[in-house]
Amino acid sequence: MNDALRKCSARFEDADVRLSFAGSDELAAQIRQGIEPDVYAAANTALPEALRKEALLGKPVRFASNKLVVALPAGSRIGSIRDLARKGVTLAIGSASVPIGAYTRKALSRLPHRMSGAILANVRSNEPDVKGVVGKLTQGAVDAGFVYESDVQAARGPLRSLPLPPKLQPAVVYAAGVVKGAREPERARRYLNGLLAGGCRDALTAAGFGPPR
Amino acid sequence: MLRASARSRIGALELDASLEVAEGECLALAGPSGAGKTSVLRVVAGLLRPERGLVSCGDRIWLDTETGRDVPPEGRRCGYLFQEYALFPHLSAWQNVAYALGKGRRDDRRREACELLERFGLEQLADARPRTLSGGERQRVALARALARRPDVLLLDEPLSALDARTRASSSRELAAVLRQAQAPALLVTHDFAEAAQLGDRVAILDAGRVVQEGTPSELASVPGSAFVADFTGAVVLTGVARAGEDGLTVVDLGGGESIVSTDPGLGAVGASVHPWEITIERGGPGGVHGSALNRLAAEVTSVTQIGNRVRLGLAGAQPLAAEVTRASASGLGLSEGARVTATWKAAATRLVSL
Amino acid sequence: MNGRAGFTALVTIALATAIAFLTLPVLAIFLDSRPGALVSSLGEESAREALWLSLRTTALALAIILAVGTPAAYLLATRSFPGRALLLTLVELPLVLPPAVAGIALLAAVGPSGILGGALDALHIRLALETAGVVVALTFVASPFYLRQAQAAFASVDRTLLDASRTLGASEARTFLRVMIPSALPGLAAGAALALGRALGEFGATLMFAGSFQGITQTVPLAIYDRFATDFDAALALSGVLVAVSLGILVSVKLVLGAEALDGAAR
Repeated sequence: MNDALRKCSARFEDADVRLSFAGSDELAAQIRQGIEPDVYAAANTALPEALRKEALLGKPVRFASNKLVVALPAGSRIGSIRDLARKGVTLAIGSASVPIGAYTRKALSRLPHRMSGAILANVRSNEPDVKGVVGKLTQGAVDAGFVYESDVQAARGPLRSLPLPPKLQPAVVYAAGVVKGAREPERARRYLNGLLAGGCRDALTAAGFGPPR
Repeated sequence: MLRASARSRIGALELDASLEVAEGECLALAGPSGAGKTSVLRVVAGLLRPERGLVSCGDRIWLDTETGRDVPPEGRRCGYLFQEYALFPHLSAWQNVAYALGKGRRDDRRREACELLERFGLEQLADARPRTLSGGERQRVALARALARRPDVLLLDEPLSALDARTRASSSRELAAVLRQAQAPALLVTHDFAEAAQLGDRVAILDAGRVVQEGTPSELASVPGSAFVADFTGAVVLTGVARAGEDGLTVVDLGGGESIVSTDPGLGAVGASVHPWEITIERGGPGGVHGSALNRLAAEVTSVTQIGNRVRLGLAGAQPLAAEVTRASASGLGLSEGARVTATWKAAATRLVSL
Repeated sequence: MNGRAGFTALVTIALATAIAFLTLPVLAIFLDSRPGALVSSLGEESAREALWLSLRTTALALAIILAVGTPAAYLLATRSFPGRALLLTLVELPLVLPPAVAGIALLAAVGPSGILGGALDALHIRLALETAGVVVALTFVASPFYLRQAQAAFASVDRTLLDASRTLGASEARTFLRVMIPSALPGLAAGAALALGRALGEFGATLMFAGSFQGITQTVPLAIYDRFATDFDAALALSGVLVAVSLGILVSVKLVLGAEALDGAAR
């Protein structure tokens, strides 16, 4: 998402856009501590909702979606979710306190108890962000990892994805809102609209992000 | 018997020296700074390996560059007194002394170390750290430490130079006693000829890495081999017994009925020193016309050495003397070997040093 | 007189500013958290495991650094050989490497796809995602701190003390143990304290190289990072614990060494 937004934001005519990238939870924490960007975008709807309840964010708008997939190194012999539960398979997933980790655990919870338990037992690292999961995969440190589909695309080659059966697939929805106390609320609003239907919408689609659901 | 010879290039210095020291003897290696004196000590101790060299102590060969034999310092029993003493700051006085005593029960080592310290009157300071001791005390602890190993050779690097003038006199006495007692050959290094003369049985003058002359102190002073040695040996030292005299002067009995006076205070055994160029030579006996110089000694000329436009005269009187006069005066007075003269100099030019 | 008073005022203000700048953030950790939070956070299993992991891996890393680094620093300090200056610069290099770069470097060298990855695999040595990997990362980033100080400490020991030891019958090895190390001890301890602090606080290289898993690789800094977005109070509490432990170690080292110095001075 970072690259796509960087490119399309440079073309935003209304203002100079300064982007600050970090884990969604980290950015939310910063806003809670009093840091005030104009716009906040997150990899889930929970965080923007929470901030809205705390009167720190305006009404959030859903602007993109993504799919949770199992990422595998190119030559992997893993063919299905069931393979992940086998003894000796190593996994990297997101930490429970970050969106990717929450989505992963949500997906796994929809599996039979023994299988999800076996898969979780194979986890060797709870990364603080999805980049870390991707990194462990590309380094060859783990056999598989749960990431977003757009990350597999962004890796450009070394990874292939194993899609999740529909009943396991959580709704990965990105939401964004104007931060209360923003210095440029009007321009912020126009930027948000651009995410929905404008230069940035096209850029996101090209990067593999689905439409907001 | 210590034999040492070394040829080596050390920095800008070309060292080429060879010496022998017999049991019970102390050879003082004297010379200006940079002459290579400390290098010689380090070669003997094994701390410096010369390009070519041979060091042997008795029948033990410590270094032979021909055969490649090089016994490391810990294998040579050298008692080394370093210029700044090199006492271990993290150990107490007795622990420093006991360092060389190897393994063994702590109590035994402590007892032996304290016995040694007692010889130097330092038993009260056994538990003190070096930094709390005075210069003189540290020197004595270092000496005790060097002796603790019952060394086969004693090496002393400028033992008195780090002391203040007052401590130097008593320390010199003490050191002389230690050297006399020790059976081991001792090699002492100093830049001060008077110190060399006081402590050494023989003196070797080292200049630019080479021994330029070797002999007893009086030999060197009276018959210097070169202008360098003449300048270096400076004062003549007479030994005698001092007592208070008239008019606040000190009378020094030289033995044989002769005595001189000095303006310095002194009592008991003293060394009286005067520079050769302060001695005036008169032909004939002491009975002649007197000037203001109170010291008048009869002497016979034993050697005449030309040094540039000066002449160094070796004189035999109650004790050996050396005087320096101009060449013109020497020939004018007809000074040659065998001539009977009177050596005169002022009481004010006579320096006294306790022995 | 006015100029002098002015100068004194200026330097005093500078010192006061520096102290405030350095101590306020640390104090804020304790002031910002609820009193019982520090202690209760230790009741959490994940916090305890993180602390225990941090202490074990740091202790092991420090042991390796001291065991290998001390003789290495001795050689660097006492012998001259061609390439010595270059070698000195090389061992100092990790000092100026950002932790992220250190992580990349470790992955490139001994990571699963690294240069030695295949060899390690053949020897059944697993570093990535294992506690051993944490120790490797800590050792890598912290050792230059010790090597630099130790080398300087050894180099500044009076050579005549070593000569004296040899003439008194001690071999080079015995001289090293009985004179060199005691003389250099304050410098060695300072280096060890720096290395300890660096290892205890290491984050980036550890995360990239060894991953983050409770009990295996999640050290205190990683645990703090994991918490701070969702449970800031827990992060504060764990930070407070780390500060307290580091302070404890620092103070006890100073006390042991200070006692030595005090003992000598009193006599």
